[in-house]
Amino acid sequence: MMKKVLAGALAAAMCIGMVTPAFADDLQIAFSQIGQESDWRTANTDSINGTIEAHEGWTLVYDDAQQKQENQIKALRNFITQGVDYILFTGVVSTGWEEVLAEVNEAEIPLILIDRLPDCIDDIDYVAAFGGDFVEEGRRQVAWAGEYLKSVGRGDEEVNVVIMEGTTGASAQTGRTEGNLAALEEYPNMKLVGQQTGNFTRAEGQAVMESWLKSIDDIDVLIAQNDDMALGAIDAIKAAGKVPGEDIIIVGCDSVKAAFEAIVAGEMNATIECTPLYGPFVEKTIEALENGEEMNKEIVHPEEGVYDMDGGIDLGTVVSVAAKDVIDERIY
Amino acid sequence: MKTKKFNWSQITRSKITWAIVAEILILLVCFIIRPDFFSISIQPSTGVLYGSLIDIVNRSAEITIIAMGMTLVIALGGTDLSVGALVAVSGAMALKLMRWDVLEYNTPGDYTVYPFFLVLLLPLVTCTLMGLFNGLLIAKGGMQPFIATLILMVSGRGIAQILTNGKQFTTMYSPFRMIGQGNLGPIPMPIVIMVVICILMGIFVRKTAFGTFVESVGVNRSASRLSGISSDKVILIVYALTGLLAGIAGLIYSSRIMSNDSNNAGINYEMDAILAVVIGGTAMTGGKFSLVGTFVGSLIIRTIVTFVYYFGIVSEATMAFKALIIAVVIVLQSEPVREYFAKRSEARAARKSA
Repeated sequence: MMKKVLAGALAAAMCIGMVTPAFADDLQIAFSQIGQESDWRTANTDSINGTIEAHEGWTLVYDDAQQKQENQIKALRNFITQGVDYILFTGVVSTGWEEVLAEVNEAEIPLILIDRLPDCIDDIDYVAAFGGDFVEEGRRQVAWAGEYLKSVGRGDEEVNVVIMEGTTGASAQTGRTEGNLAALEEYPNMKLVGQQTGNFTRAEGQAVMESWLKSIDDIDVLIAQNDDMALGAIDAIKAAGKVPGEDIIIVGCDSVKAAFEAIVAGEMNATIECTPLYGPFVEKTIEALENGEEMNKEIVHPEEGVYDMDGGIDLGTVVSVAAKDVIDERIY
Repeated sequence: MKTKKFNWSQITRSKITWAIVAEILILLVCFIIRPDFFSISIQPSTGVLYGSLIDIVNRSAEITIIAMGMTLVIALGGTDLSVGALVAVSGAMALKLMRWDVLEYNTPGDYTVYPFFLVLLLPLVTCTLMGLFNGLLIAKGGMQPFIATLILMVSGRGIAQILTNGKQFTTMYSPFRMIGQGNLGPIPMPIVIMVVICILMGIFVRKTAFGTFVESVGVNRSASRLSGISSDKVILIVYALTGLLAGIAGLIYSSRIMSNDSNNAGINYEMDAILAVVIGGTAMTGGKFSLVGTFVGSLIIRTIVTFVYYFGIVSEATMAFKALIIAVVIVLQSEPVREYFAKRSEARAARKSA
């Protein structure tokens, strides 16, 4: 009996030890992350956690929800019980957050929304919101291809475009598709001949491209809504005896290091950045709030670049940069 | 004159017949919409067979290989939910061994840190042991297969993540590329591996008594034990074998993309494999099984996927479309439908002889 009690007490002590921050007078910043899903997510976690941990007087209370909404809800309630000073939140899905976020509001803990914003954003109180502009990313993908074709004298040539979409219903897929389709209107020479989901994965990107190469004659441009699918498609294009990057122009999205390597190797043409490095924004925001500044409620978008083989393609809002010049700085 | 009677009613009663009919029907629809769906050529630059039909067989390899094991698992009256996770474990392990030196995202190259045989052997041994673990929980621990294999289904993917620190490693090691993207003569390597495994499995279950043991244990475990079959041993072998096959599928999957993708590798493979087995005519209740049927079932699943890609079914409708076709196939195989056709052919035969 005694042993059991002791073991229980020990276990409880260990649990408390894991969640209780080191110093009570530190600013406690809690972060409810979706969980590990991709290199992008890992870089995102590293950036935010690294920034908070490195900041003097700040303590990180981190929760990895392993891609489950119920875990995130549990984490948010734990944060409230612990009485943290700030909550950083990105939701694994976009709906079902009304109740728990209302509880956060009731507890009067400042809420900072990042990355995937909840649908109920208009009904809850938050101090700042920061996330990628998926529609603009989608627009840039097509605009890059259109402007590049102009730059090589193919601006009037009719070209066949295929769009490889992300996981159906994901905010990145709906946003980028909207941007892709809107931008295609601007370039009448670009004709949409195929549209299919590759679920954001390399394996499916490969399989979809493999079928397209047989069912669609003469694909000129591949718009892949993330780099992984583009990288998968490159293998399928090679297997069909075509030269990726030359016979088929490939534009990816995210700007992960593997895509830069493919661009430098001449097998991919461009990638539109979707940065995971949120640390600096989080730091700036919390410092401003601590100084009593009122934040703008508008959603802030990160500054993002466009990377390609030679650089210098003007997309109106941004001019592309050569991937080989920045590949060494890329850490994810 | 007495000839060997061609028994229609027996054929129409068989589930495999209907699986084959379904596959032919889907292909026929493809042919009507676009005859060039059937075109097969030799890709001049690589010397490999090239065509949508080849893609179907090639990309069905992972599910077919796993489903061979799943057939025996289901014949035992069980299920193995962990196979998808084992695919991820196998890939993560192979990539980890090749890229042991991966200091935070360095550039991949045509090399491996550990010898190639270890890159192949360790993931397969690990997956076999994990399958054995499933078997032990079921045979010795008396757990329900659904619950026992759920453990590794949930934790397996986590193990894969830990192995690679939650990251996606990439390699360019050419011998490894051979597994998923190479070829033997004009035939893509995954097809070669799949065919060899199917043949070996066929010999194992039909040329030895093992298949009969599996069916016997699946029908009645205690009766089998009383008649001298070591039920526990049969269960252990079947689950370990399924683990091994999942490991092989994992190597093919990761070789196709030259990377581990612990989040997506083998996702829903357990469901596809179970579906392939069921379409192939093996009942979930255990007992009689058919490896040939499973092979056809797996082909049907991949044909549907290829159909969706080839004919550009809109992304939003893809899932519903797949579900619709599978529902039709399952209904075609249902008892009343088969009975109906069997009765008709019996009646026809009776009319003829009268």
